[in-house]
Amino acid sequence: MSTENILLFGYGNHGRFIAKGLKEDGFRVKIIEARSDFYTKAKEDGFEDALQIDVTQDEELRALNPDKYTQIVCMMDDEHLNVFLTLSLRSLYAECYILSLSDSINTTKKLKMAGANKVIDLYEVSANKIHNILNRPVATKLLEKFFTEKDGISFQEILIPEDSFLTGMMTDDIDFSPFGVLLLGMIDEELGHAFIFITAGINHKIDVGDTIVCIGDKDKLEAFEEEIKKKES
Amino acid sequence: MRLWVYSDLSEDIIQEYNDARYLHRDFSVWDSLKTGLSVKLQYMLTPAALIDLLAILPAYRPLRVLRIFVLFRVLKLLRYTKSIKQFLEVLSNKKFELLTLLFLLVFIVMVAGIAIYVVEEKLNPNIESLFDAIYWSLVTISSVGYGDIAPVTDAGRSISMFIIISGIAMISFSTSVIVSAFSEKLSELKENRIIEQINKNKSFLLICGYGQLSKMFFRQSETEILNYIILEKNPEKVQLAIKDGYRAIHEDASRYDTLKKFNTDHADITMLCLADNDVENIYISLNAKSISHKIKVIARASSPAMVSKFKYAGVDHVLLPNVVANTMIYTAITQPTLHKAIHAILTGKNIARIDEVHVNYYPIVIGKNIEALHLKKNKLLFLGIKREGKFMFNPPLDTSIEDHDILLVMGRQISLEYFEMQYAGDV
Repeated sequence: MSTENILLFGYGNHGRFIAKGLKEDGFRVKIIEARSDFYTKAKEDGFEDALQIDVTQDEELRALNPDKYTQIVCMMDDEHLNVFLTLSLRSLYAECYILSLSDSINTTKKLKMAGANKVIDLYEVSANKIHNILNRPVATKLLEKFFTEKDGISFQEILIPEDSFLTGMMTDDIDFSPFGVLLLGMIDEELGHAFIFITAGINHKIDVGDTIVCIGDKDKLEAFEEEIKKKES
Repeated sequence: MRLWVYSDLSEDIIQEYNDARYLHRDFSVWDSLKTGLSVKLQYMLTPAALIDLLAILPAYRPLRVLRIFVLFRVLKLLRYTKSIKQFLEVLSNKKFELLTLLFLLVFIVMVAGIAIYVVEEKLNPNIESLFDAIYWSLVTISSVGYGDIAPVTDAGRSISMFIIISGIAMISFSTSVIVSAFSEKLSELKENRIIEQINKNKSFLLICGYGQLSKMFFRQSETEILNYIILEKNPEKVQLAIKDGYRAIHEDASRYDTLKKFNTDHADITMLCLADNDVENIYISLNAKSISHKIKVIARASSPAMVSKFKYAGVDHVLLPNVVANTMIYTAITQPTLHKAIHAILTGKNIARIDEVHVNYYPIVIGKNIEALHLKKNKLLFLGIKREGKFMFNPPLDTSIEDHDILLVMGRQISLEYFEMQYAGDV
C-alpha cells in the first residue's frame, strides 16, 4: 500500500500538511505548484520531486502523465484554479481518481460537476464537527483522539488476503476478543463497493478481496493484521 | 395575594432567629414581624397597590358610590403592558423636540389669543373675555374649528389665517418627530423581543458571526435547531441572515452589555465563536467566560499555534477547520475505506451513530456486567467505557458498570433508541 504514487497539486496551507503527512507514511508524492514562492517552499521543505508549471496549459499537464498516479489530489489555494484544474484533468484523463478540496459551499458543487471523484468541503466537515461536539461531546473527543494519535487506539483497514483463516467465515461467528480488536465494518466485494457497518445487522461472509475495518490498540491491530496474513496452517 | 408574595415574612423571621442564635441574643418574633410588616406597608402605599385597592373596594355594597373606581381596573392592565413603557421611552428620547414644539404652540396660542382680544373685544359679541380669545385660538390652531366664535374684522381673519397655517405645520411636524423616533427604535425593539424570547428557554445557542461556517452549520443539522440566536456586528450580514430565514440580531458579542442581556445565570448557554478572525474569537470567548463560567464556549481557530491561547482563555472546545479538513483528506488518500466509515460516523448517518449512554440516567444497569446488556443482540457495537476521565477500550465482558460511567456504543438509530427505551422504562 505504501508504494502508491500521489500527484499533489498545490503546496499552500492545506497542501503542506498533506504532503508532510504522506511523506512520513512513506507515500511517493509529486508536488505541482503554480506559484513560485510556494514552489521554493516545497523545495526548502525537502520535497525534491516538485515542479512549477502553468496548470492552465493542457500540454504541461499531459507532460506529467497523470494516469501513472493512483490518486490525484487538487488543493490549490486559489479555488478558481482548483476548479479549472479538476476540469482539465478530467477532460484529459477520464479514468483517474481525483480528490479535491473545497472551501466554500458553492465550490463543492462546481468541483463535483467538474468531475472530481471526491470533494471534501472544509466547512461541511467543520460544521459536522460542531454538531458532534454539541450532541455527543465525549464520543467526539475520543474519536478525535483515535484519528490524531499515531499510537494508542486507532482505526485500521485490512485487506483479506488469500488463504487467510478468516476466509469463508461469517462475521457473527468470528470471536475477535482474543485479538483485542473490534470489527467496525467491511466492504463486501460481492455486494458492491459500499461500506457496510457491522451494526447494520446483516451476517456477512468474508471472502478474499474484502476489506475489513477494525478498531483497537495500534499494537494489537498490527498483530491482528499479521495473524490474518498468516497462511492457514 | 400580591401583598403576600411581595416579600417573604418567614424569611425575615428565620433570618432574625439565626442572628439571635449567633449573637446569643434573646429572640423575639415581634421585632422580625415588625420589619417584615413595614416592608408590606411600604408595598401597600405604592401607586400600583392603591389602584388595586380602589378597584376592589366597590365589591363591598355600602361603598357602592365608589363604583366609579371600577374604571381603575383598566389601569391594572398597565402592569402587564411593557409596550406602554417602551412607548414612553421612545417619546422621552425626543423630549427636546417635543418640548420645543409645545412651547411654540403655547406661544402662538397666547399671542394669537391676545391679538384677537385686542382687535375684536369691542366688535365681536362672542369674545367677552381673554379666556374666550385664547379658547378660540386653540380651537382654530388645532383645526377643530367649532365655529361658535368667529372673527368678524379683517384683522381678526388675518390672524386666524396665520394660526391655521402654523397649526397645520405644527401637527405635521410633531407627527413626523414621533414616527421617526419609532422607526429609529423599531429594530432595537424587535431585537429586544428576540432576546426576551430566547431567554425563556432553559438552554440555547449563541452563534457569533454569520459566515460560511455558520451557514454550513445550519445546513448540516439533522434536526431543526430551535433555540439559537445569531449575533453579528456587520449590519449587511445581519440582513443576509434574516433573509436566509434565521434569527439574527445586530449586536457586538465582544461587548459586556450585549452578553449581559442574556439569561447567563440560569440558562445553559453554549456559544459558538465562528468568526474568521482569531483575535475577535478570543476576545468574545474571554468576554463570555468573564460573565459566567457556566457558558460553554466552542471557538474556531485558524491554526494549531492558536490553540494554547484559546485554551488559556477558557474555551471548552477549539475547532480547527483547516486541521479537521486536512485530516479528512489525509485519511481519504491513505485509507479510502476507512474514510467512508468515518465520514458516515461523523455526519451522524442513522446507520452508524456513535452515541454516549450516560449510566446515571439508567440506574437499572448499574452493577450489571457488560455481557448482561445483550448489546450484540440489539445490534450495537460496544466500544468502551469512560470512567473518571479515563477511557477503557473494549473492556472484558465481565466488567461491571458503575454509576456515572459513560458507555460508548455504535449502532443504528433505532437500536440505540430501543436500548435506551428498554432500560429507561423499568426504573
